[in-house]
Amino acid sequence: MKTLKILFLALSLLGFLDASYLAIKYYQGEAPTCAFFKGCDVVTTSEYATIFGISIALLGAIYYLSLLILSIIYLDTKNPRLIKIGTVIAGGGFLFSLWLIYLQIFVLNALCIYCVASALSSTSLFIIGMILWKKSSY
Amino acid sequence: MEENQKITKQEKRLLRREERSLEQIQVARKRLFRKITMWTGIFAGLGLTLYLMILFVNRPLPETKLTTEISANDHIKGNPAALTTLVEYSDFQCPACASYFPLVKKLLEENDDAIRFVYRHFPLPQHKNARLAASVAEAAGLQNKFWEMHDLIFENQFRWENLSNAKASEEFTKYATQLGLNLPKFTTDLDSEELKTRVEADYLSGNASGVNSTPTFFLNGKKMLQPRDYENFKNIVLGA
Repeated sequence: MKTLKILFLALSLLGFLDASYLAIKYYQGEAPTCAFFKGCDVVTTSEYATIFGISIALLGAIYYLSLLILSIIYLDTKNPRLIKIGTVIAGGGFLFSLWLIYLQIFVLNALCIYCVASALSSTSLFIIGMILWKKSSY
Repeated sequence: MEENQKITKQEKRLLRREERSLEQIQVARKRLFRKITMWTGIFAGLGLTLYLMILFVNRPLPETKLTTEISANDHIKGNPAALTTLVEYSDFQCPACASYFPLVKKLLEENDDAIRFVYRHFPLPQHKNARLAASVAEAAGLQNKFWEMHDLIFENQFRWENLSNAKASEEFTKYATQLGLNLPKFTTDLDSEELKTRVEADYLSGNASGVNSTPTFFLNGKKMLQPRDYENFKNIVLGA
């Protein structure tokens, strides 16, 4: 139980750092180029990298930050409702990640390692959230 | 006497209650203080990490120099005697290169007297038609149509970038026909080892100069920061 909760916190932190790195790159990085190992250049400069002009990486960073804050509050207060809220948010992130991975594989034909890492962490967060939810409802 | 004792008992009780509530207030204060410290620490830590990441992304890159001098083998456009030399390492299948192509073209059209422009191949391994496209441009070059082919290849990138090697070859042959090239010679040249070596030589010279992405521009032998737009590009190049 405790390990899973710490893991949830650690994954949200990793996801936050990962997404922040992409967001910083997006807003401050150089003009797009093609580099060895295609992937992030194709993906992060594609038309799918933004929603209504906001970088998806930035939205991702906010999403992970909210999960991070939520899990710290949970570890502090032990309020079981927070598990449910966190799992619902993680579920949304998981579905969104599925969509992004679909776009990378089938539309852009390029995988960005940072985006894959984010999809993996949001999937794990969702799974851990569900386990914690189930355990806490006994 | 009894009355007095009663009062003192009541007073004691009150006093005790007061002490207890004071203790509670102190405990609550401590808890609040602990929370404030915790959250301040967390946000300070996250802020510091973000700051370090921003510094990392914007770190100045080591200055890289062009190691291979311009020679008669190079494809030169503009004024060969110009004081400003712009070398581009480029990949015909790279979308970023295709988006810089009109910028370079405009820059040369507007300032063809001031710039000596050199195009070198840097076909990235993940672009499966890039090497072929480079050879096609070289084969056209043997019939003095390198730049015409270079333009056609970039302008039509979207047509051939996702084709198989064989299909892309057919597409390129169309451009050769369009340029009025001698087709049998073009086809033979395209298969020659000499052309492949020529493209590879450019690629190796790029490697030696620290090129790891395309397009990479060298302005008078020094690696240039990627220009953001045409005005930026023009100012940097003409300012040199």
